Amino acid sequence: MKLVKKSAALLCLFLSPLQGAGEEKSVTFSKDIAPIIFENCTTCHRPGQIGPFALTDYKTVKRRAKQIVEVTEDRTMPPWHADPGDVKFSNNRSLSPEQIKLLSDWVTAGRPEGDPAETPPLPEFHEKWQIGEPDQIATMTERFTVRAEGSDIYRNFVIPMNLEEDRWVEAIEFLPGAPEIVHHILYFLDTSGKARKYDAEDKKPGFSMSKSNAGFSYIGGWDVGTQPTELPHGLRFLIPKGADLVVQIHYHPNGREMTDQSSVGFHYSDKPTARPWSIIQVPPHFGQMQGIEIKAGDKEHIEEASFILPEDCEAFAVNAHAHYLAKRMELTATLPNGKAIRLLRTTRWDFRWQEDYSFEKPVKLPAGTRLDMLISYDNSASNPNNPTSPPKNVKWGPQTTDEMGSITLAAMFETKEQKEATHNALRFFLANQFIDRIWERRADVGNGNGNGNGNRKGQLQIAVGMLKALDKDNDSMLSPEERKTAIALIQGMGFLKRFGAIGFE
Amino acid sequence: MNHKFFGAASVILLLAIASLFGGERDSIRLKDSSGKLVEPLANKGQKATVLFFLTTECPIGNLYSPEITRIVEQYKKQGVTCLAVYAHEKAAEVQKHQRDYKLSLRALLDPEVKLAKFTGATVMPEACILGHDGEILYRGRIDDRAVKFGTVRPAPRVRDLRMALDAVLAGNPVAKKVTKPIGCYISFPEGPLPKSPK
Repeated sequence: MKLVKKSAALLCLFLSPLQGAGEEKSVTFSKDIAPIIFENCTTCHRPGQIGPFALTDYKTVKRRAKQIVEVTEDRTMPPWHADPGDVKFSNNRSLSPEQIKLLSDWVTAGRPEGDPAETPPLPEFHEKWQIGEPDQIATMTERFTVRAEGSDIYRNFVIPMNLEEDRWVEAIEFLPGAPEIVHHILYFLDTSGKARKYDAEDKKPGFSMSKSNAGFSYIGGWDVGTQPTELPHGLRFLIPKGADLVVQIHYHPNGREMTDQSSVGFHYSDKPTARPWSIIQVPPHFGQMQGIEIKAGDKEHIEEASFILPEDCEAFAVNAHAHYLAKRMELTATLPNGKAIRLLRTTRWDFRWQEDYSFEKPVKLPAGTRLDMLISYDNSASNPNNPTSPPKNVKWGPQTTDEMGSITLAAMFETKEQKEATHNALRFFLANQFIDRIWERRADVGNGNGNGNGNRKGQLQIAVGMLKALDKDNDSMLSPEERKTAIALIQGMGFLKRFGAIGFE
Repeated sequence: MNHKFFGAASVILLLAIASLFGGERDSIRLKDSSGKLVEPLANKGQKATVLFFLTTECPIGNLYSPEITRIVEQYKKQGVTCLAVYAHEKAAEVQKHQRDYKLSLRALLDPEVKLAKFTGATVMPEACILGHDGEILYRGRIDDRAVKFGTVRPAPRVRDLRMALDAVLAGNPVAKKVTKPIGCYISFPEGPLPKSPK
């Protein structure tokens, strides 16, 4: 009898907070949950789209309820990796703490549907192209087969644009052929014919990542869940006539052999770009000359780089790039008046999600502004993203088992001269890093330890010889004057010309 | 109340629980994807049975398909029966999934989640090893490649299910009987949602 009383009391204790919560709020699917899901999840989570399952009605959402609470609470979903900071982003996809709590309360309350008549209709989604039928659709010329499992696959595909005149582009949209496996892509333009040559030489469709994309003009990217690229502020970029589109696709095998044939849609404009614009990458060329070397087991390896803007500009978007080991990435602008603006900070960098973060309002960065970039890498075995087990020493390289890292601002200028001066400053920055790297390796050349293939070894020998010759006082140091001469020489050399800011407007 | 009485009471209680479970186990009859009635837990001379709780739409589960097929083929020779268990799909959907992902094991439809309730499975994919007498010898992940939603190692470091199966077949106790699987949750139609496994 006593026991019964006790358990009854316990039961009351257990039930009362639940009942209280239920009565006060009475969270229901139709009234509270459907608007959150339909507005924030369903655009990807519906049949035929990239979300792996549909969230389109009470039944499908109820079934996934527990998972939805978990991934929204840990902010895995919706995908958004920028920490809240000094600037607001116009494409912020994250849910508010109140929305996340509502989802959790609904599950606690037993996932009630409420009155089905109250459920809002699904928003009007487009079935294929999200921003309307493009003016030109460029589709991969062949289907590419991706195996069922194993490491990720990168592949470049060349698509002739066959343009008979230069065209200004105002928006690009990517349409994955096999949304289950296409993870992210980068677009380039090639006017040299090199990409076609690589494609012809490679037996399989497209060509491999071992071929350099140097000389191609980077024009943007797409990742799972991003919106189509619509350039803001009347900006456009140019596709020169005769250019080929090179699409670099990153595939994730998903347990089943699949084939992909993706398309890119272009929206053209009769008007040229409203202003000159470009990208400012710190450090340039994804950190190739940064001298990245991350020791196996190092839990917090820091890379830093700073660049001073030579001209005024207005930044309108930011994007970070590194591979699997990066954890924290930051870009801060310190204005000439000392004011610091954090343009991007992510403590949850995830290689699988490579978002562009668009500023709600352009950020004015006067000449003399210093951009400080910081990336922290975790090359320990406890980093679940570490692609190598046990960890190995990692250097800069294009494979995902290598590392790289930089943060890129998209910025507009008043004049072409400002843009050109900014590009030149970035090339100067890169040339300086290049000299540092060669100078570091001058001992290797003398004793024959220089690694790499014959051609690169030869190039290194020439470069070291040149720098040694410039070291007039032979003190194994380059004075600022000697360095200036070296940079001038290097900037004229063919194999550096391909580095530096990639500009288009 | 003396010790003898207490001891006897425990034995009776244990027997009662055992018979309860035994009864439940024998009564589990499910249709497979071709409509045939199957008693998945009946002793038919198999050394062990592996249940794979699966769903057609979970990207993590689908990623495991080639490994599941390898386990099915490899352990078949050693007298292990493998069964897939689907709680949320219709026969045609299961058949298509098995074809698409080249899954070569018999698939059961369990809309009332009887097997999940019997074994305590909560996730898809989750594996459960049953001894020939129906004893639960292992329950949990197939291996450690999935870390959390959206984070999957390029290759597993610990192959828990294979280790457990090897121990069972060698007549050894399973070192780690329960592990935490990562994947999509089995949706239990009524009652509260089960807590996340530890």
